[in-house]
Amino acid sequence: MFLAAFTSPANREVSADATLMRGLLQNDVGAFERLYDRHSRLVYSVVLRILQQAGTAEEVVQDVFLQLWRNAAQYDQSRGPFVPWLLTLARNKALDTLRRKSERQRRREDQAEELPPVTIAAPQYEKALDEKRAAVKVRALMDSLIPQQKKAIELAYFEGLSHSEIAEALKEPLGTVKSWIRNGLLRLKEELQATS
Amino acid sequence: MSTCQQFREWAEAYALGALDASQRAALESHLATGCQDCRKAVEEARWVVSQLAHWAPETAPSVLLKGRLLQTVRAEAKAAETATQAQTGTPWWMWGAIAALLLFAVMTERATLQLRTELREAEHQAANYQKEIQDVEAKLELAKRENVILTDSASVKIKLAEAGPEQPRVDAIWHAKLGIVLTAENIPAPAGGRVFQLWLIPKDPNNKPVPSAVVRPDEDGRFTLLVANPPGDMAETRSLAITEEPAGGSLLPTSPVKWVGTTR
Repeated sequence: MFLAAFTSPANREVSADATLMRGLLQNDVGAFERLYDRHSRLVYSVVLRILQQAGTAEEVVQDVFLQLWRNAAQYDQSRGPFVPWLLTLARNKALDTLRRKSERQRRREDQAEELPPVTIAAPQYEKALDEKRAAVKVRALMDSLIPQQKKAIELAYFEGLSHSEIAEALKEPLGTVKSWIRNGLLRLKEELQATS
Repeated sequence: MSTCQQFREWAEAYALGALDASQRAALESHLATGCQDCRKAVEEARWVVSQLAHWAPETAPSVLLKGRLLQTVRAEAKAAETATQAQTGTPWWMWGAIAALLLFAVMTERATLQLRTELREAEHQAANYQKEIQDVEAKLELAKRENVILTDSASVKIKLAEAGPEQPRVDAIWHAKLGIVLTAENIPAPAGGRVFQLWLIPKDPNNKPVPSAVVRPDEDGRFTLLVANPPGDMAETRSLAITEEPAGGSLLPTSPVKWVGTTR
């Protein structure tokens, strides 16, 4: 009880995810169900936004969670917090599916059978930042950007376009596109930090 | 602008996947060199980019998706459990019992080894005691024999050396059946490791002296030597003689006779 009083809710959430992942190693179906209940909504939202098609989005979400189940041993807690890692995995899978569908040349390896070994460094203030507050802050910031800047980040994040592709799509100079994206993300970082 | 500064400015675009191929390859090559600052910048940028997920309109997947997933997961969990049991052929609790039995066996073996060691030590000690008892009994037997020889009227006393006070005195008392007891006083110790040796000088002058036991006097110049089985009969022995010999004795005298006494 004493220690719990000094542990932030976000920190306990992180710890809960790590515990559930360990449960997956023991073939604990209950742990898998709790993990799904905690994160499937956010994962599905991102994947659906990228793919724009409910059926395909559900296939990708199913693939993401089955990968967690089948390759739980590959999850390395030392590589960073669970949720950002899960969202990165889901986004990459959705973009891969999108590229296959549109027959664009794939720029990433197909990671259908292995969990990505990416490392994510969460800032200190992440522990004090719950998902709801982060969601509110992200949406508010994006709404405050000029339409072209917002569109550039949207094309990069949800459609996986490169700087050059975005510049071409928006008919804007490459340097401007780069600045919009970088400045937008730096502002997001500052806003999230301020919120915490 | 330094190289690292340039790469750190690319960190957000890299995490977003927006860098063009050549820039992405350049940054990845730089990260492969182990630059910790740039690696940290990329890892932090990944976290910021992951937060963009909240920008997506919130939508819940269908209930059917969860049902399908759980159905698959349950089937795979059951298959994994069955495979594990088939591989081991032994339920988990049985391994506990086997481990307990192995532990018990190891402990028992250790206890047995300890008991065997203690038993060997006890047997060794008992053998030592037995030997000590035998030695004492032998000494007692010799003492008894010596006493009989010294007191029996059938014994013959032979003086090998008899002088005044402070002079060597050597006596032999020979019992035809029990042996010879040789006693001496005021005897100077032979030099080095040499010893005094008793000889039986035969009556037949053609026969050589017969070697017998060896002895060294104590610090006070005394000794008592029991020859339980003399190498010759008293009837065929003209005299007893003592010479000084190397340690262990000799087969024939190597020095002049120091003391001698006739049997009759």
